[in-house]
Amino acid sequence: MTCTTYSYEIYRHFFLTDMDTSNPSVLVNADLLSRYVGRKVRTVIQVIRIDGTSVLGKSTDDRQLVVKGSPPSSLTTFVEVIGIADSQSSIAADSWTNFGDSFDTASHNKLCQLANGEYQHLFL
Amino acid sequence: MMFSSSQFEAAVPLSQSTQSTDPFSNSSASKSRGTEGLVPVTVKQLSEAYQSGDEKSNFQMDGADVTNVTLVGMVVQMVVKATDVSFSLDDGTGKVECRRWTNDSSDSKEMDSVQDGMYVRVIGHLRSSHGRKQIVAFAVRQVLNFDEITFHFIDCIHQHLQKSRSKSDTPTQTKPVELSAASASSHSTSNVHLTALSNDFSGQHSTGGLKNCDQKVLEFLQQNFSIEKGLHRDEISRQLKIPVDKTMESVRALEEEGLIYSTIDEYHYKSTTES
Repeated sequence: MTCTTYSYEIYRHFFLTDMDTSNPSVLVNADLLSRYVGRKVRTVIQVIRIDGTSVLGKSTDDRQLVVKGSPPSSLTTFVEVIGIADSQSSIAADSWTNFGDSFDTASHNKLCQLANGEYQHLFL
Repeated sequence: MMFSSSQFEAAVPLSQSTQSTDPFSNSSASKSRGTEGLVPVTVKQLSEAYQSGDEKSNFQMDGADVTNVTLVGMVVQMVVKATDVSFSLDDGTGKVECRRWTNDSSDSKEMDSVQDGMYVRVIGHLRSSHGRKQIVAFAVRQVLNFDEITFHFIDCIHQHLQKSRSKSDTPTQTKPVELSAASASSHSTSNVHLTALSNDFSGQHSTGGLKNCDQKVLEFLQQNFSIEKGLHRDEISRQLKIPVDKTMESVRALEEEGLIYSTIDEYHYKSTTES
């Protein structure tokens, strides 16, 4: 019993000593999506059409993206999805957040570029 | 209203930046000292902040002290207890533990509306608990306009840039003057009595036996008398271009003479008298 407590303490000390940055979700637009196929990403789309379990959307850099998963029953114009990049134009989402009907896509697109470019070290 | 009670030490560092009547006019001064009032950060940046000194809440980021931070992210793994609400904040770059004490009903009311999966802005105090960095939040507010998320990350980049820039600018500036100007307005009346008392004391001692170096350190601390917590020995050493060990020698000598005293920790010193 003591032994397990101890080993947990040791585990805690060495592995839980800090915040978890091991599983980030990368801010992307459609252009950047191709870099992260197979990895966790987050992106904002403008909903074009909902087909059952997948949503066709427009990315912040004006391209079409397919987002699969189980979207909530009501979606606003802009939706943020977090999930695994399936291919360079599709995402398997596990999180959907309604961003409302007005959203500054141009700024967000610029942010994606900065977060994957010059200032990547602040994000990844 | 936002900062209601005594349990967070954060009230102290915060007051530094709010004491001056107009924080914006003094922004260059506070920057030169390397501390910012409230720093927008990503979790990734926090994970790289390192602790300077032994205190539980003394962190450095981009070469500057950071105590109060603001983050925007999603609430996950929220646990509500009688006296506090704790949760992880996931901003996409990582997760950080947050705790919001809920002492009075306005605190709990604020936290009532918060739930898992919600985007929030957290304002809080960075500290370490059992070796893990943690945010002791004094405000947790739901994000309603999602442009705030974009804004926050751009703000992080902007702050980072400003700090990196000010780091390369500052060495040639004359900081003591700026410093005293910045905190002049924070001069508290409680010091007056102390000053008067110790004046004759310094009169007896300061003329005799002080080495050149001691004199410099003393004068520098006197110039910065208005800074409540005094100056860090590294700051003194850097400003006066005297090696740290030499500085500490003088500091000890001056402390023995009762001309200066240590404040919040053994690294911060303050003169007993004004210049």
